[in-house]
Amino acid sequence: MSYSGTGPIVSFENVSKHYGSLKAVDGLSLELRGGETVALLGPNGAGKSTSLDMLLALRKPTGGKIQMFGKDPYHAVKSGSVGAMLQSGGLMPEVTVGELVTLVAGLHPRPVPIETTLRRAGVADIAGQRVDRLSGGQTQRVRFALAIAGECDLIVLDEPTTAMDVETRRRFWASMKEEVAEGKTLLFATHYLEEADQAADRILVINRGRLLADGTPEDIKKRAGAKRMSFRLPGADQAMLVGLPGVVSLETRHDLVQIQTDDSDATLYAVLDAGYRPTEIEVGSLGLEQAFLAITAEDDRANGAEPAPVS
Amino acid sequence: MGGIMLLTRAEINRLRRNRRYLIFTVGLPVVMYLIFSKAGKTVYGIDFAAYYMVSMATFGAFAGALNGNAIRISEERKVGWIRQLRLTPLPAYAYVVAKILTSMAMTAVSIAVVLLLGRFEGGVQLAMWQWVVIAVIVWLGSTIFAALAVAVGYRYPPDQAQPITLMLYLVFSILGGIWFPFTGTLGNISKGTPTFEAITISTDVIRNASVPAYLAIGLVVWLGIFAALATLSVRSMAETV
Repeated sequence: MSYSGTGPIVSFENVSKHYGSLKAVDGLSLELRGGETVALLGPNGAGKSTSLDMLLALRKPTGGKIQMFGKDPYHAVKSGSVGAMLQSGGLMPEVTVGELVTLVAGLHPRPVPIETTLRRAGVADIAGQRVDRLSGGQTQRVRFALAIAGECDLIVLDEPTTAMDVETRRRFWASMKEEVAEGKTLLFATHYLEEADQAADRILVINRGRLLADGTPEDIKKRAGAKRMSFRLPGADQAMLVGLPGVVSLETRHDLVQIQTDDSDATLYAVLDAGYRPTEIEVGSLGLEQAFLAITAEDDRANGAEPAPVS
Repeated sequence: MGGIMLLTRAEINRLRRNRRYLIFTVGLPVVMYLIFSKAGKTVYGIDFAAYYMVSMATFGAFAGALNGNAIRISEERKVGWIRQLRLTPLPAYAYVVAKILTSMAMTAVSIAVVLLLGRFEGGVQLAMWQWVVIAVIVWLGSTIFAALAVAVGYRYPPDQAQPITLMLYLVFSILGGIWFPFTGTLGNISKGTPTFEAITISTDVIRNASVPAYLAIGLVVWLGIFAALATLSVRSMAETV
């Protein structure tokens, strides 16, 4: 059974959340459609967790409207349509992993068989252990088990792989793909660019509580100038370089020219057509990281602020 | 409703395995009864063994409801379990309801143990209706402290909830006349506490006297105050659990 409505699975309409003068979320609008895997990407303090908290009815927006499956967040969560894992979510102490997963599955209108949940979350081998005696990575996997203990249509994860080692992270995304293959919609917040690039088919870049970019990982890279190009050209004319097609940013040092461009072919052909013969030509892809940094740095500069640190 | 019952069952299973809790709610009243029940002759016009039975039943019930909930709620808020639970289909009030039901189930056991001890060890002889009324008064009285525990646990982090709970525990034990009956000025102050009120209603029932209305009204007022405080705590902390 999945959501049969025709509207978006999740919608934010001009949503804001203010704490005194701090605008944690500032006029955020977005829509999620069924079956998408969407990454909410932003530096620490960008408003990712606050946005997810509001989506899950843990916090009330100061303004704007949030809907999930055409309902208000509280009733959507209570109907069991959403499985969620938060950074701040914790486990009931003094019980075993197996007991806890059984309890949470039992609270669900459409429980998943316990063995399936334990296997998918990779906690079958620690089912008999007490939850208050687990390592950070194990705790994180148990939290994930609770998020998928019931059949749901939307999974919401806030920085799901924090505290996981590389192998656990790989296994986590493998089991996540199983969930997505069943037609579930997945929304996850992360500040790992690599994770967003590999796992998501759509990325929402947010900074200072506002949506800066919305598109496929390729779109995002393109938006910041997808290619980085460099060559040596003695006596290059600055005005000519700035006027080249596709150029997003330009830097020259002596005869070394570095260009960020969203169309490297057109840029290079124009240089050649103008009669120049540059040497040591290098063209490389701009990673998502540089794209992301470019987008948020641009936003920070526009706000007259120091760029937010990426950690 | 099924979900709340599942959660309550899980909570009861946790408490059953918790030694510290069992020592406070069952162990301590039982041991104290065994030691002190023959220490006096008569008090409040009834046999001391009967008074001390009521007193220890109240002690176990109120200590269990207060200690068993306040610090645990505070800790579960801190680790984020309450938050996690809000992501499940359980309604928002389920956590508090399950805590109070659990507390009532556990205090029912501790009250039963102390009353049985009074009957067979202390030789207290009462009519069936008297046993039932005493048990129900003490049992319902313990919900007053379950409400107080919710108010404290939701409002304060564990490092503050702990000393606050200990202070409330001592105040209501000593002023309530649980460990020894008061006379004079302190006796008058003592009359205002819910622990004293629950004990006095019970001792009045035992000596077959009519129960003054102010005692029952007092219990209801305390319940009202603590339930209101609990509601305030839960509401004001709604965004930070």
